[in-house]
Amino acid sequence: MKRLGKIYILIIMLFLYLPILTLMVLSFNEAKSMAVFTRFSLHWYAELFQSKLMLGAIVNTFSIAILAALIATIVGTMAVLGIDAMKPRTENVLLAANNIPMLNADIVTGIALMLFFLMIGVPRGYCTILFSHATFCIPYVILSVRPRLNKNTDKLYEAALDLGASEKYAFRKIVLPELWPGISSGFLLSFTMSVDDFIITYFTRGAGINTISTLIYSEVKIGIRPSLFALSTIIFVVALVTLIIVNYKQNKADKMAA
Amino acid sequence: MNELIRLENITKSFDENVVLNGIDLTVGENEFVTLLGPSGCGKTTTLRIIGGFEQPDSGIVYFDGQDITTLPANQRNINTVFQNYALFPHMNVGENIAFGLRVSGKSDAYIKDKIKYALKLVNLKGYENRRIDQLSGGQQQRIAMARAIVNEPKVLLLDEPLGALDLKLRQEMQYELVRLKKELGITFIYVTHDQEEALTMSDKVVVMNEGYIQQEGTPEEIYDEPINAFVADFIGDSNILSGKMVDERVVEINGIQFPCIDGTEQGFPPKKRVDVVIRPEDIEIRPYGKGLFNGTIISKLFIGVHYEMLVQSEDGKIEWLLQNYDQHDVGAKIGMYVRPENIQIMHKPKSEAESAMEIDL
Repeated sequence: MKRLGKIYILIIMLFLYLPILTLMVLSFNEAKSMAVFTRFSLHWYAELFQSKLMLGAIVNTFSIAILAALIATIVGTMAVLGIDAMKPRTENVLLAANNIPMLNADIVTGIALMLFFLMIGVPRGYCTILFSHATFCIPYVILSVRPRLNKNTDKLYEAALDLGASEKYAFRKIVLPELWPGISSGFLLSFTMSVDDFIITYFTRGAGINTISTLIYSEVKIGIRPSLFALSTIIFVVALVTLIIVNYKQNKADKMAA
Repeated sequence: MNELIRLENITKSFDENVVLNGIDLTVGENEFVTLLGPSGCGKTTTLRIIGGFEQPDSGIVYFDGQDITTLPANQRNINTVFQNYALFPHMNVGENIAFGLRVSGKSDAYIKDKIKYALKLVNLKGYENRRIDQLSGGQQQRIAMARAIVNEPKVLLLDEPLGALDLKLRQEMQYELVRLKKELGITFIYVTHDQEEALTMSDKVVVMNEGYIQQEGTPEEIYDEPINAFVADFIGDSNILSGKMVDERVVEINGIQFPCIDGTEQGFPPKKRVDVVIRPEDIEIRPYGKGLFNGTIISKLFIGVHYEMLVQSEDGKIEWLLQNYDQHDVGAKIGMYVRPENIQIMHKPKSEAESAMEIDL
């Protein structure tokens, strides 16, 4: 029985990771073939870093992700503070409204944003993508910061005032550190959501500007080059390393707390 | 005693909910005052108004003769020990204690000395670098005290500080608090719903209910001479009965006449209907027929120091609660006697303020 369980887990792991493994192996293939591995080569990595189109898309993707996550984190955190000060009824209505964009299909959000930009006559490009990404990330930031701000935080804030702290000092020294885990996870979530996004980017970008996802989409039409495998491999490894670091830190923090 | 804090006609409501109905209260310098009452009686709101966390709808708060009604919390020379302590979780013990001192810009050397002094005062020497979540409930409570008192406040507000501790620890901490109070020589205003805590520690107990102060007095006064049925019932076990004055210093309860010490002079003339409180430990057991009244024991419970018994009157209309060191069997017929000075006569509630105290007896 125990053995069967292990085999089952192995099969699931294979299903999850074999495709990625295939992609990683093929990114080191010398030939352009997607079926036969001829010889190990870094040829496609070289091509990746020589392609202006590709480099531009990478820069766009990550700069938009960082900026959008930053904007969403600041706006979202401020929104949480504001919502918290409202009456419970208003608070509930606003939090419910906050959930709707997250449930909404990306395609609807994307088209809606595109129409909006067309209507107000803003030329589509880098800024419209950034604006759109920040918009769809804000609800996620609110969702992750909101639980950190509770009765307990209010009490801590009052305790700081009681000890003579000014409102600003109490917020900076006591409330902000309490919110910090929510803020940082909101930022990370926004960042990954932004990097991941294709549909909304596709509808809100202008001609001549690409992120990784839209570039790959357009390349598919003319035939995919293995340099894209190389890119995907790099993205995967970066994500993996980040994950390991986050987990390691979390483990260490848990051990300290225990 | 010099007056330190005075509340004048404080009212407060949240939305439609009236919490305080005109509170007048004076707290003297170096006094241990306890606000006692059931949950929702307004005791915590009163404390929060003194601390500056709530604004009263009307009324004035005086501190040292000055009107501080609108002074924000961070400018009052008052510190609070919060319910559940509100220690800063991302700081260690030393940093928690130092918080108030850093805010007021004290030197590092001074702060270090003060932390040491405060930790010694609360019997937690050498705990500077502990994290808050490494402390037990009792230790957290002590740190919360230390954090408040290093700022040398004139008044310490304590909002049910022992509520989260187990019984044994709570009793220990009661002694600790009284000791600390003596060592510091400052005023304590203490909020609790635990009548035992209130009676043990306080110089003055203020019993509150439904936003009114019911009675103020020393623990002895509150216990021995409750002013109405609510106070009598809230402070300790008691027999609260309806009665009628039949003569000077004679009250009739359930057809039986009891000599007492209250008469016209005390505001209880003959024919007046009254409430009567008799503490269960004040009912003495006599042989059957040799007391003022008789009854049958219908239940008996051993509760540590003494036995608690329910005795039914012979006409079956009243059950008396008795506490006695001696054991008597269930079913035994006994006589009972109460000394005149142990019969506490009270006015029946009549005004709105008083009827707020009415409870199911």
